[in-house]
Amino acid sequence: MRTTAWLICMLALAATEAASAADLNVRIADDHGKAVADAVVTVLPQDDASGQKPAARPASSSKTIDQKNLTFLPYIEIFRPGDKVVFRNSDQTRHHVYSFSSIKAFEFVLVPGESSPPLVLDKGGVIAVGCNIHDLMIAYLYVSDAPWIAHSGADGLVAFHNLPAGAYNVRVWQPRLRPNKPDLAQWTTLVGAAETKTLAFNLSLLPDSRHEFDREHTRY
Amino acid sequence: MGFRFRLASFFIAALITVQGLTAVLVYEVTRHELIGEGQRQLGVASTAFARQLDDISERVAASVQVMALDYALRSAIAQRDEATMLSALRNHGHRVGATQMLLLDTDGRVEVDTLGAYPTQSKFPYSDLVNRGFERPAAAVVAWHGRAYWMVVVPVFAPNLVGLIAAAIPIDDPLLARMQSLSALPKTIELATIASDGNWTVVARGSERVALTAQLTARSSALPVKPILLYVQGREFVAQAVSLNRSTQSAPVAAVLGYSVDEALSPYRSVGLAWAGLLTLGLVVGLIGAWLIARGVSRPVEQLAASARCIEVGDYSPPLTIVRGDELGELAAAFANMAQSIREREAHIRYQAGHDQVTGLANRMTAESMIQLELTAHPGNPAALLMVGLGRVPEIIKTMGHTVCDRLMRDTGERIRGPAGKGLVARATDTQFSIFLPASGKSEAIAVAFRIVDALIEPYRESDLALDMAPAVGIALSPMHGVEASTLLRQAEVALISALGSEEPIVVYDPATDPHRPERLSLMGDLREALDHGQLELHYQPKLNLANGIIDGAEGLVRWQHQTLGLVPPDAFIALAEETGNIRRLTRWALEAGIAQAKRWSTTDRAIRVSINVSARDLDDADLPRRVAELLALHGVSPECIALEVTESAIMGKPDAAIDVLRRLADQGIELAIDDFGVGQSSFAYLRRLPVRELKIDKTFIDHLTEARADQTIVRSIVELGHNLGYRVTAEGVDDVRVLDYLSSIGCDHAQGYLIARALTDTAFDDFRESDAATRWARGS
Repeated sequence: MRTTAWLICMLALAATEAASAADLNVRIADDHGKAVADAVVTVLPQDDASGQKPAARPASSSKTIDQKNLTFLPYIEIFRPGDKVVFRNSDQTRHHVYSFSSIKAFEFVLVPGESSPPLVLDKGGVIAVGCNIHDLMIAYLYVSDAPWIAHSGADGLVAFHNLPAGAYNVRVWQPRLRPNKPDLAQWTTLVGAAETKTLAFNLSLLPDSRHEFDREHTRY
Repeated sequence: MGFRFRLASFFIAALITVQGLTAVLVYEVTRHELIGEGQRQLGVASTAFARQLDDISERVAASVQVMALDYALRSAIAQRDEATMLSALRNHGHRVGATQMLLLDTDGRVEVDTLGAYPTQSKFPYSDLVNRGFERPAAAVVAWHGRAYWMVVVPVFAPNLVGLIAAAIPIDDPLLARMQSLSALPKTIELATIASDGNWTVVARGSERVALTAQLTARSSALPVKPILLYVQGREFVAQAVSLNRSTQSAPVAAVLGYSVDEALSPYRSVGLAWAGLLTLGLVVGLIGAWLIARGVSRPVEQLAASARCIEVGDYSPPLTIVRGDELGELAAAFANMAQSIREREAHIRYQAGHDQVTGLANRMTAESMIQLELTAHPGNPAALLMVGLGRVPEIIKTMGHTVCDRLMRDTGERIRGPAGKGLVARATDTQFSIFLPASGKSEAIAVAFRIVDALIEPYRESDLALDMAPAVGIALSPMHGVEASTLLRQAEVALISALGSEEPIVVYDPATDPHRPERLSLMGDLREALDHGQLELHYQPKLNLANGIIDGAEGLVRWQHQTLGLVPPDAFIALAEETGNIRRLTRWALEAGIAQAKRWSTTDRAIRVSINVSARDLDDADLPRRVAELLALHGVSPECIALEVTESAIMGKPDAAIDVLRRLADQGIELAIDDFGVGQSSFAYLRRLPVRELKIDKTFIDHLTEARADQTIVRSIVELGHNLGYRVTAEGVDDVRVLDYLSSIGCDHAQGYLIARALTDTAFDDFRESDAATRWARGS
């Protein structure tokens, strides 16, 4: 949420500079029309040469992925390349945090209360993080340098404000999308100052592996 | 077929039929039930089998899933370390019993294949499993290269989905056998799939190998989803197929389950054996029982039959000792009573048959057999048979009736017993008693006879009547007169009749005077033959006319020269012929012969009148006059040339008929003469009416004519009487010249006798007429 707030703030600043600003609302639902949370929406200008870029990139930051009640918190975190991630164990059990991701493979065994050393995420991509002890624990680190990026909340909505007029490539990614499918993308053109565009994405999702699929105890 | 056999066979037949029908019924019902049970079981079992396969496949999937969580494997997969992946897959495949392990990428392309059967990057064929495998472990049956497998596809999370592992676990014979051993599945299970040639092919079999699928597909290309009954290798099965949960990309796989009816029946086989044993036992017991029951019935019946046979031959002695409470006992008792009654009745009948009811004495039959026994027992011993008769009994019966006579006879029997002593007294006929005296000679017999006569001379008295019985005794002696009881009885009776007809009360049989000797009967047959064969001759006795001393008549007398007996005297056969009804033939023959002779003599210068005797029986014949007339006409003889002689007694029997016949003869001009005149009971009343021309005085009056004055008076009176009535008179039996003279002196017309001539043949007669003997009486006229 802080990221969103930060983004909105940045966009608001930009809007004051350019009177011709537009809003983009993205509504994400599944096949049943139900709002989908944890969907990452990236907005890329179609033509990079237009110079429509958000404000300058802030300095790299460090984000902590906490482990509490056998759950990674948050489930999804958006990183900019160069950002650092720290895994903190707030549980009473050990956690064996690992990733076989081609972007960043790592492995920490964290005793209760322990935090991993900061890990620099220098490449863009999605890093799936799991715990080798607790199969249900999973978190996704979304590393991207897209100018506009945000993820949906429980209402399935993502709003972008004060976008400069122009054509944008809007992409949506969700961990429960079928593997090896490209991110859902949609071209859109924003015209005019006070235009507010709303895009709707319908996603075909796999079951949430955290809850619906007990990988140890398949249903009998 | 005996009663025992029939009862026993009925029993056995009934038992076998009932048991057999029951066995068939039970077998059929059981079989039907078992088939139904088999169908139910199969329905359940096929579902259960499919479920079990599904369950096992889920377990297998779970195992594979657990395997897919292996960190090292996940690490190798996530990092696409192919050599490690291959070895890890092989290694983990062993753990779950898979024969083939594959790693698929998230597009469903083969990355690694432990068997190398699929080229890398080729599309994994079971896409449905892959699609399902993204969400959860997916497992299904597939048929591949002639074998059946579970194909399990599980996702690999590291921790996100990095690929899929496919494991092929064979469903083979040992697996089916293990499943069968662990649950109540039928013994016969086959897994079949449709092979490339389009036919169902068996890919795995259970513990028992029966070619169910082959048999089923031989009938129809589709496998039955409902239980059906079929025969495989001579055994009966209920079979059903169930289609297995398979990958849609695989050929269909079905399980064919068979339920062996024979096997289900096998527990009943021991029941059947026990049944057969019981049946055999029942048969044996039934046979023994039937035999015993039948024996219990038939043995007394056989005893009764044996007793009946004894009774049949007159043996009543064996007592029937069947004492039973049932119907046979009643029958036996009734039988015994019947035998007793028959015994008593027969004794009674025997007594009645052998004894006279009135006197209580033995009857003639009994007496005859007893006498015969005695005679046979002591051949040659002297014995006497006395026949006692009461001359007045017929008269007493007519006068007083049978009741009085019966009492009289009873009294007589009592009286005879005393003098008879040890002799056997029997009532021989209604009016006669016989007394058999064994070991008695003639004198003893006569002595006994006298004592009997003395005992019976006293009249029988009843109330104020005194009935004189006029007893007489005839005696026959053995062996003098005969050795047969019947002969003696007859002879004694003959003697008795003789005694009854004479003054002497006691007569001993004399064969010489017996007019009833049996040989006379055979004589009649001989007589008929003699008549047929001309063995008879008519002889002629001359009649001398006393007035002129000339032979002018002759009496025809029959002479019979018997082939063996020689000359038979007329007395012997004429009376017999009269009794036996042959006299008419004899008369006819004599008439013919006499008339023929009269014809011959009528042609000579001196005719002879031929007299022919006619019997009393001839006078019954109304045709006699006509027949005589025919004979006369036939021979052309004048009626005056013959005469017919009739005895007085012949006329007196039936006077009216006789007189009628005689009158018709006389009307023809035939002379009639009364023969043997004077000894019969001639009635002058009839004599007057008779158309007679001649009286022939019986020779009894002539024999003693010279000495007896009474006879002279009688003869002279007859001559006078005859002449006065207009008859000629002839004297018979003249054998003395003085008699002849006397007869001439009293005016008798003719004489006949040995003095003149005996009966002569026709030629001798002619010679006699020419001789001096014939002419010596002649007087000059």
